[in-house]
Amino acid sequence: MEPLPLKQKLNLPSLPSLRATWQWLRQNLLSTWYNILLTIFCLWVIVWVGGGLTHWAIALAQWQVVTDNLRLILVGRYPVEQLWRLWLVLGLMVGVKTFSWGTLQSWQRKHLLRVALVGVGAILLALVSQADGTSLGWVGAIALVALGSSSLATWCRQQALWPRLQPWLPLGWLVSAGLILWLISGGAGLTPVSTTFWNGLLLTVLVATLSIVLSFPLGVLLALGRRSSLPILRGLSIGYIELVRGLPLIGILFMAQVMFPLLLPPQITLDALARAIAGLTLFSAAYLAETVRGGLQSLPTGQWEAAKALGFSTPLTLGLIILPQALRAVIPAIVGQFIGLFKDTALLSIVGLVELTGIARSITAQPEYLGRYAEVYLVLGLIYWVFCYGMSLASRRLEHRFSDR
Amino acid sequence: MTDLLEATSDPTLPPMITAHNIQKWYGSFQVLKGVDLEVSPQEVVVLMGPSGSGKSTLIRTLNGLETHEQGRIVIDGVELTQNPKHLEAVRREVGMVFQQFNLFPHLTVLQNITLAPIWVKRLPKLAAQEKALQLLERVGILEQAQKYPGQLSGGQQQRVAIARALAMEPKIMLFDEPTSALDPEMIKEVLDVMRSLAESGMTMIIVTHEVGFAREVAHRILLMDGGQVVEQATPEEFFTNPKEERSRQFLAQILG
Repeated sequence: MEPLPLKQKLNLPSLPSLRATWQWLRQNLLSTWYNILLTIFCLWVIVWVGGGLTHWAIALAQWQVVTDNLRLILVGRYPVEQLWRLWLVLGLMVGVKTFSWGTLQSWQRKHLLRVALVGVGAILLALVSQADGTSLGWVGAIALVALGSSSLATWCRQQALWPRLQPWLPLGWLVSAGLILWLISGGAGLTPVSTTFWNGLLLTVLVATLSIVLSFPLGVLLALGRRSSLPILRGLSIGYIELVRGLPLIGILFMAQVMFPLLLPPQITLDALARAIAGLTLFSAAYLAETVRGGLQSLPTGQWEAAKALGFSTPLTLGLIILPQALRAVIPAIVGQFIGLFKDTALLSIVGLVELTGIARSITAQPEYLGRYAEVYLVLGLIYWVFCYGMSLASRRLEHRFSDR
Repeated sequence: MTDLLEATSDPTLPPMITAHNIQKWYGSFQVLKGVDLEVSPQEVVVLMGPSGSGKSTLIRTLNGLETHEQGRIVIDGVELTQNPKHLEAVRREVGMVFQQFNLFPHLTVLQNITLAPIWVKRLPKLAAQEKALQLLERVGILEQAQKYPGQLSGGQQQRVAIARALAMEPKIMLFDEPTSALDPEMIKEVLDVMRSLAESGMTMIIVTHEVGFAREVAHRILLMDGGQVVEQATPEEFFTNPKEERSRQFLAQILG
């Protein structure tokens, strides 16, 4: 039992001997009669399900419904002649991410390997979906951007001036976020593209990202409000949190579509997308508030007292001492809620926004693809899973970074 | 003041702390029943008494961690009110060391010490760090500057807490049972730091059960019981010839 995990820990690329394998099997899978039964049963399930699925995927499934509609799934009805803007957006996102990642931690071989793997995956996907030359060109260009920005990051880290420039990185994120929104929506020199043409994965990612970014500060403020010593503020926070937590999300989304136009003055019109983001944000913030409150309550009062005794004002105490600890304590729960929020965007298909799930419904409604639900929804599930698992990984990395403190 | 080791309080100077008729209730229970206290500059006052006698509560009212319902507290000429600006001004002059250390676990030792000077006093970062390293050397744990509090022993943590309070250059230091949460072998290292602080002329109020330390360092000992000061005397008088019956009982209990 001992030698095998040790080898794995050291990452030694040697094959375990036959004897060791047999021992491992005996100890972990075949130790008692019921363990043997369980092993056989599990093997049978795996072979049955896996075999059936493979047979279906190779022999029966008609993947043409996915490859034909890949553009629809990814970007929906975004005008074809404006697609270069979305490619630019993707390139910008990849560039900013690899640059930030590269400056935050030393660039190692395994990162390069990971980037290369993603790149190969993207090219394979493009080939399988019979992408045209332009798309292939874009994919290649973005791969180059990734390599270039990571090299740039490594170079920057070695400059003496870098420690003073690094605090400006968030400003860079803000600017690129503005740039991305401008590229997608147009105006100011670009052809405007109405939000009704933003569909598919594009819409899902956009709505989820904006709702996450907006609901986080709102949730923290609500949590602080609920813990406030001012009775009116506390009452309002509790009222808001309990009200929203008592309503189903789908109801809030319906209300957002119907109620906002009634509540807002007539000269302000929010389009359906903004109303949906508002609804998701308001909903998510109430749940986040309770999670953050849990983090706040987990801190001993001694932290407050020590800060007060040193002369810190309440805002400084919160910003420097309380929130950093409270938020760290609840990272897994917060990310869990963000993952939930990402998947909740599927409900938007019911209130008339054609995001990933909505586009899947409209694809399967086309007469030539009638009955091809399994293929479409399997790919749909895969896309959702990739994003959620990505968030999960990011959460683990964040936790790991703070674990030694 | 000719010799630091011989530093004693000077009653001719205006008092550093004046507390008059302090009363405090927890609900219907009165914890402080009209306490009067005057502390001169450079004086070291030790508060003793059984648990629940109100000594911790008294020391915590002196920097506004607890509010008092009646009475006046004047710290170095500034009256303690509930106005946050006044409170923050007073707290900058009054350092406090807690029983449970209360270090900030998410920051390194150096960051723990420099945080308040940088953000509250607006000291430049480099100056604050230099000062912090001097203080760490003074409390004898310079080599721990880059560690996190969780990696230190209790005695080391408490010495960091003392350095953190001193970094604000307070005029008064309050110690709320600073050695009660420590293992016996770590008590001495903390008391040594406090002793040298007293010898340097710091005005100090200390709640402690360490009789030997109190006898050696205190200029005056106050015995509290039931929310009142029962007796105050020099250590010599208090430990050899206490006037009050309650003091004799208490001494008999703690000296066994």
